[in-house]
Amino acid sequence: MKKITALTLACSLALGLFLSGCAMEESASGSSSYNFTAGSGSTAGNNSSSTESGKREVNVCSWGEYIDESLIYKFEEETGIKVNYNTAPSNEELYSLLQSGGVNYDVIVPSDYMIARLISEDMLQPLDYSKIPNYEKIDEQYKGLSFDPNNEYTVPYTWGTLGIIYNTTMVNEPITSWEVMFSDEYAGNILLIDNSRDAFGMALYYLGYDVNTTDEAQIREAAQLVADAKARGVYDGQGMDEVFQIMEGGNLAIATYYAGDFLSMHENNPDLAFCVPEEGSNWFVDAMCILKNAKNVDEAHEWINFIASTDSNLANMDYIWYASPNAEALEKYPAYYEETYGEPLDQELYEIMAAPKDVLARCSMYENLPAETLALYNDLWIELGI
Amino acid sequence: MKNKISWLAAPYVIWMALIVVAPIIMVVIYAFTTAQGGITLDNFARMGTYTVIFTRSFQLALVATIICLLLGYPLAYVMAKEGPGFQRIAMVLIMLPMWVNFLLRTYAWMAILENNGILNNFFEAIGLFDLINGIFGTDLTYFRMIRTQGAVVLGMVYNYLPFMVLPIYSVIIKLDHSLLEAARDLGANSALVFRKVIFPLSLPGVLSGVTMVFVPSVSTFAISRMLGGNNQMLLGNLIEQQFLGGAYNPYLGSAIALVMMVIVIVCMVVMNHFGEGEEQAVML
Amino acid sequence: MSKELIRLSNCTMAFDGEVVLDGINLYINDKEFLTLLGPSGCGKTTTLRIIGGFQTPTSGDVFFDGVRINSVPPHKRAVNTVFQKYALFPHLNVYENIAFGLRLAKTDKDGKRYKLSEKEIDQRVMEMLEVVNLRGFEKRHISQLSGGQQQRVAIARALVNRPKVLLLDEPLGALDLKLRKDMQNELKRIQQAMEITFIYVTHDQEEALAMSDTVVVMDAGKIQQIGTPEDIYNEPKNAFVADFIGESNILDGIMREDGVVEIFNRKFKCLDSGFEKDEPVDVVIRPEDVDIVPENEGQLKGTVTSVTFKGVHYDTIVDFYGFKWLIQTTDFCPVDSRIGIKIDPDGIHVMKKSHYSGMFGDYSSYSEEYEEISDASIDPEEEEQEDENEE
Repeated sequence: MKKITALTLACSLALGLFLSGCAMEESASGSSSYNFTAGSGSTAGNNSSSTESGKREVNVCSWGEYIDESLIYKFEEETGIKVNYNTAPSNEELYSLLQSGGVNYDVIVPSDYMIARLISEDMLQPLDYSKIPNYEKIDEQYKGLSFDPNNEYTVPYTWGTLGIIYNTTMVNEPITSWEVMFSDEYAGNILLIDNSRDAFGMALYYLGYDVNTTDEAQIREAAQLVADAKARGVYDGQGMDEVFQIMEGGNLAIATYYAGDFLSMHENNPDLAFCVPEEGSNWFVDAMCILKNAKNVDEAHEWINFIASTDSNLANMDYIWYASPNAEALEKYPAYYEETYGEPLDQELYEIMAAPKDVLARCSMYENLPAETLALYNDLWIELGI
Repeated sequence: MKNKISWLAAPYVIWMALIVVAPIIMVVIYAFTTAQGGITLDNFARMGTYTVIFTRSFQLALVATIICLLLGYPLAYVMAKEGPGFQRIAMVLIMLPMWVNFLLRTYAWMAILENNGILNNFFEAIGLFDLINGIFGTDLTYFRMIRTQGAVVLGMVYNYLPFMVLPIYSVIIKLDHSLLEAARDLGANSALVFRKVIFPLSLPGVLSGVTMVFVPSVSTFAISRMLGGNNQMLLGNLIEQQFLGGAYNPYLGSAIALVMMVIVIVCMVVMNHFGEGEEQAVML
Repeated sequence: MSKELIRLSNCTMAFDGEVVLDGINLYINDKEFLTLLGPSGCGKTTTLRIIGGFQTPTSGDVFFDGVRINSVPPHKRAVNTVFQKYALFPHLNVYENIAFGLRLAKTDKDGKRYKLSEKEIDQRVMEMLEVVNLRGFEKRHISQLSGGQQQRVAIARALVNRPKVLLLDEPLGALDLKLRKDMQNELKRIQQAMEITFIYVTHDQEEALAMSDTVVVMDAGKIQQIGTPEDIYNEPKNAFVADFIGESNILDGIMREDGVVEIFNRKFKCLDSGFEKDEPVDVVIRPEDVDIVPENEGQLKGTVTSVTFKGVHYDTIVDFYGFKWLIQTTDFCPVDSRIGIKIDPDGIHVMKKSHYSGMFGDYSSYSEEYEEISDASIDPEEEEQEDENEE
């Protein structure tokens, strides 16, 4: 009898360690799940469909720090649908997860170019817009974009711009151009963004080329520009998530990142400033869509509609500092802010969050590039690392 | 009786099969195929272009291993010589960092080494930079410690040192004291006793330690990203790029991983052989 | 003729307040085979280790060739040791084990350091292999050797350095009987051939008697007696030595006058003298020195309580007036028979009383003690009182 008890104990201990180990690993690198009800809600294995158990649920995969969590509770209360909320660290990783299978998401929130790829690979299903009345509120300029020209698959979630973040105490004058990224003026004090699209993209903007060019010579020229700068020691290093800690701590002078994230950093370090360079930059839209093999389609539509509402958009804007595509919400936000915090909204910051039309005019959106171009990007990026 | 044993071993066998054997088989299969499905060696054709990255990873791992050895061996030796009280304390101190998650420890190092981080602020507070600037006429405001290769080695040594110390310690402490007395009796002073008796007999522990430091060091990418600023691509990053980079190519990624695995296995076999040879005549 | 090589002068060794050696005074001559003999814990190994330099005496001095060497470390002493568990180096083969000491740099008499050439080393190693009869074993691995072979390698490894003194710490303990006896002869032969001083530690008194020139009997950290094997055997100084070496019947007696001792109210002629009139003494009578005669002819009369056939003789326990004697005889006397004994004067040995008196020599352990052990009601202290009263 003793042996059996010991064995059971050992097994449960091992299982417990294994599961907790999984949880730790996930939060560090892969996707992780937020459990907002007493359910299990892990990334794999959410295959109980609503009709079976009578309990309705929806599986969402979004990004880290990308939602006001109270919205999830609100949704669950209002509709009784359980939300299994997961996150992934990047579009590429999300794509990798979807390719390898083993995940059962209903709603995902990829960026523009990734949506284009998913559509071209037939991984999304068309939306039933009759179930999403709040779609009407979305501003026209966020509809009919290149990745979903006929508005069949997506409902925009947030939008923003890519720009240069700099520490005003560490630079001589305000930054307005991509030139700082390639000149020796602040050599050794700059963080290069750690993905090929954005890194080569900024070089393409600086050189005046179309950021979505497939011309090999242009791409190589852009890559060379970055490589030369790296060789001269212009960049102290490369990073994505590290940028928060680096800029907030005042460790480097200049970095490239997204407007919404800048605003979070600004909260912690008011010395930071942001600019969308004059040569032009990237603006992006993250949109909600439903996977082709989603199990909880109705619930998914309900979720999307809820998130697209003005109230949800206001709450989200306030929490994650990313601009909302909901025209009503955009209009109401300054008043909402004043009401909530008792002080007027800083106009400058608001314009960083929701770039005005003249700024957007010099921005362009990434498109999904053909496979050979992507492969070229990848090779050049690896060469950079060698 | 035989059946009982194999039944008890079943969980382990299943575990090994699922967690170890199956993934390796998958990697091998992916390495030799392409998106189109045919069996091919194309993935390996491009290995040559990545030679620099391979060399760099192995070099870095080697440096980290050697440093761990130089630091770890004396520590293990001193620990073994001291009494049980000291040994217990030293053991706890060595193991204590391991109770904290690996990534968290590495994040802590980031905060310490940053340009505006704990160490640099401390140096500034005690006037170190003023002093240096005064003597050398420079205009330093901080030491560049993070996003350097040195920081990567530091991270690796910090994280893996216990794995070098513990195997060596456990071998030395089990050495028969009468052997040391015999050596002294035959005329060896302390230095010679160490060189001719203790060191040769501690080699199995050294081999263990070296393996346990070298193998994880070769494939590291978290440390190089967080402390090295991803300035120089290592094998881990390279493989990651194939899966999470712009172009999703698990086939090439698997091929690179396979080559890395093979090289590491070869290294370990060579080391073990070398270790066995040591057991025979040692003319140090 | 023999010069003194090692002297221990009033050496005391204490560990944590416990005294392990108490005022040891001992000298050892050149080319002598000296054995330290005693039960476990008597301090013999500690004495050896002090000579070897592995321990320093708490007080007292150690002299080697007239020079005080208390703090000289082992590797600087002209002494080599054969360890109890051989301590052969597992990572070296037989040749390298033996050559270990030779490969270390040496200092000659003038203080110059020199190293033996490879050729010299080879010559000495092969020579030593010959001496210990292990020719052909050079390349063997230690783990492939039997106990006896390992033993000989250990001896060779020590001797090849041509030390002045060889210390042997119970080296034959792990060997079986036949091999042990062979090795005893071997060691004696080697010692005499190489003219090295051997200091040997053992608890086996037969071994000590067989090999030694001098035996030092120790108990509880003190030297009980030093002498040649014959002296120790025939003329033990106290009850401990008498009992430890061979079998002895030790009786209470009274020395009436020189040459006459009284036991059991009977006077016996003996050869000892130098005691005071009517001094209480311990009388030692070896079991083999007792003749069994018909009852009426005996100097003492007793009843046989047990007989054990030992091959060479019978161990016969006889009860004389409540005191049990061991008699070794080739005559068979059945149990419960009444017998008489006769003892020649040279079979009696008289010793002064010591704190050991009364502790040994009574062969009740053959029969009574077994009952006493089995009887839970008997207090061990009471039992000793009873024995004394019986006499």
